[in-house]
Amino acid sequence: MVATEGAGRIEVSGLTKTFGQTKAVDDLSFTVEPGTVTGFLGPNGAGKTTTLRILLGLVTQDAGQATIGGRRYQDLPSPSDQVGAVLETSGFHPARSGRDHLRVYCTVNGYPASRADEVLEQVGLTAAARRRAGGYSLGMRQRLALATALLGDPEVLLLDEPANGLDPEGIAWMRRMLRDFATQGRTVLVSSHVLSEMQQLVDHVVIIDKGRLLRQGTLAELAGADTAVSVRTPQVDDLRAALERSAGADVRIERTGPDGLRVTGVDVGEVGRVAREQQIELHQLGVETSGLEEVFFALTAVDRGEVR
Amino acid sequence: MRRLIAAEFRKLFSTRLWLWLLLGAMALTALYATLAIAFGDNPNNPTPPLSSVEGQGTLFSVGSGAATPFIAVLAAVGLTGEFRHRTVSATFLATPNRTRVLIAKLATYLVVGAGYAVVCIGVTTAIAVPWLSAKNIAVVAEGKVGTLLGTIAAVAIFGLIGVGAGALLRDQIATVVALLVYLFSVEPIVTRIPALQDWTKFLPGAAEDAMVRVVQSNTELLGQLQGGLLLLGYGVVLAVAGSLLTMRRDVT
Repeated sequence: MVATEGAGRIEVSGLTKTFGQTKAVDDLSFTVEPGTVTGFLGPNGAGKTTTLRILLGLVTQDAGQATIGGRRYQDLPSPSDQVGAVLETSGFHPARSGRDHLRVYCTVNGYPASRADEVLEQVGLTAAARRRAGGYSLGMRQRLALATALLGDPEVLLLDEPANGLDPEGIAWMRRMLRDFATQGRTVLVSSHVLSEMQQLVDHVVIIDKGRLLRQGTLAELAGADTAVSVRTPQVDDLRAALERSAGADVRIERTGPDGLRVTGVDVGEVGRVAREQQIELHQLGVETSGLEEVFFALTAVDRGEVR
Repeated sequence: MRRLIAAEFRKLFSTRLWLWLLLGAMALTALYATLAIAFGDNPNNPTPPLSSVEGQGTLFSVGSGAATPFIAVLAAVGLTGEFRHRTVSATFLATPNRTRVLIAKLATYLVVGAGYAVVCIGVTTAIAVPWLSAKNIAVVAEGKVGTLLGTIAAVAIFGLIGVGAGALLRDQIATVVALLVYLFSVEPIVTRIPALQDWTKFLPGAAEDAMVRVVQSNTELLGQLQGGLLLLGYGVVLAVAGSLLTMRRDVT
C-alpha cells in the first residue's frame, strides 16, 4: 500500500509536445518526490493538463520522457493500483449512477464491488451514489472523479484543477485528504491556476508558463527568494549608503516614501546590524513575505517580458 | 480480457439504451413478419410462396434485417459514447493498451448482437407459427437451422461493424448517421444500378442476405459461408483501421 522507495517518484525530462503550431510543452523537466504535495502551477494554457496527460499515457509526446516510479504509465504492471488521476469533471455517462460508474472500474481492475461503496463514503457521496451522474453538481462530480482516482488505493495521485467547483468546505476537506495522503509517504501532484488555493496545501511547487519550467523548489525557498526588508528611518540616505557599502552588489534598495526603504538581497538581521553600527535611528524594521501569488505573478510576468 | 468484457457489459447494462433499442428491433421484426405473412402469397409479390423452403427462410430471417440497424447503432454508441461523455480517459487509464479495450468492445457487441437476434427470432416465431397454422401452411424443418444460425451470426457481426465504424469515426453523431444512411439509402440505391449488378453481391447488406438465405427478386447472392466471411471481413477491416488510424490519437 505505502510506496516502496522511489516507486512514487515522478520524473519529467526534456518533455516536448506540439499541437499544430502551438508548443504546449517545451523541453520541460522536473521531479516530484514521494511524501510531498507538489503544486503544479501556471496560468491557463501553460501546458499543465498536457503534461499530466502525457504522464498518464493519454497524450503522446514528441520528445522527452515522463515516468512514474521509473516507468511509463503504459508500462506499469497494474496502473490503477499505483496511480490515481482526477482529470476532468465531466468524465461520466450522464445516465449512469455514480456507483455504477465506479463499479465499472472495479470490474476492470478486479476489485470487489464493495470498494465502490468505500470510496463513495470516503468522498462523502454515499447519499447520491444511486442517482444519475448527469444530475450531479460540479462539486459532486469533482468528488466522484476523486473517488474514481482512489479506487485502487494508489501510491501516486495526479489531480488537474481538483478544486474547481468545490465550495470552501470542500476545498478544506480536499486539502486535509491530500495532506494525509502525502503524510503516508505517497506522492501528490496537483495542478492549479488559482494560487491562493495552493498556498496552504503544497510543500513543493513546479511553476510553468508557455510550456517551460520557470521555477521548481519548496514553497519556503520560493517565497524566500524574493523576501524584502522594509525600513522606516529619518536618515534614509545614510542607511542607503551604509547598506550599499556593507552588502555590496547583491543589495537592491528602493525608496518607498520620504522615510521608507524597501531592501532586497540582504536579510533583516543584516539591515539591523548596519543601522546599529552607523547609529542610524530606525522607526520600523520588518519583513515583507511575498505570498506565492506575488511570486507567481512576478515570475510569469518576467517570462512574458511585461515588467521589470 | 474477461474482466474487460465484464466491465463492458456493466457499462452497457447500467444505462437503458440497450433496452430501448431492443424494443425497437422487436417492433420492427414484428412489423416485417406481419407484412411477410400478410402479403407473402400475393401474386404480385416477388418472394417465393410461404409454403416453400425459400419462402419460410425469408420469413424466419426477418429479424436480421430488423435488428441490424439497432445493434449497429447500439454498438457504435457503445464506443463513441466513451469519447462523447469523456469516459474514455478513465477507460484508457484503467487499460492503457487501447487495442485490448477495442477487442473487449468487439467481443461484447458480438455477444449482444447474437442476443438481439435470438430475441427477434423469438418474436418472429411467436407471430409466424400460429398464423401459418391458421392458414394451414405447415412449418417445414428443411433449411431452418441454417436460416436461424445465419440470422444470429449476421446480427452479431453487425455489432462488430458498429464498434468498428465507431472506432474509425470516433464522433457519435457522424457514426450513427453514416451507418443508418448506408443501410437505408446507399446500399438500396447502389443495388438498383444495373451496371453494378456484378458487384453488389459483395456489399455488406447483400452479404447479410446471403447469410440468412433471403431470396428476393433476381439478385444474385454469395454462398452462406462466403457471405458470413465477407461480412466478418468488413467488421474486422473497420476495427483494424480504427485501431490504427483513430484509437491511437491523443485523448486531450
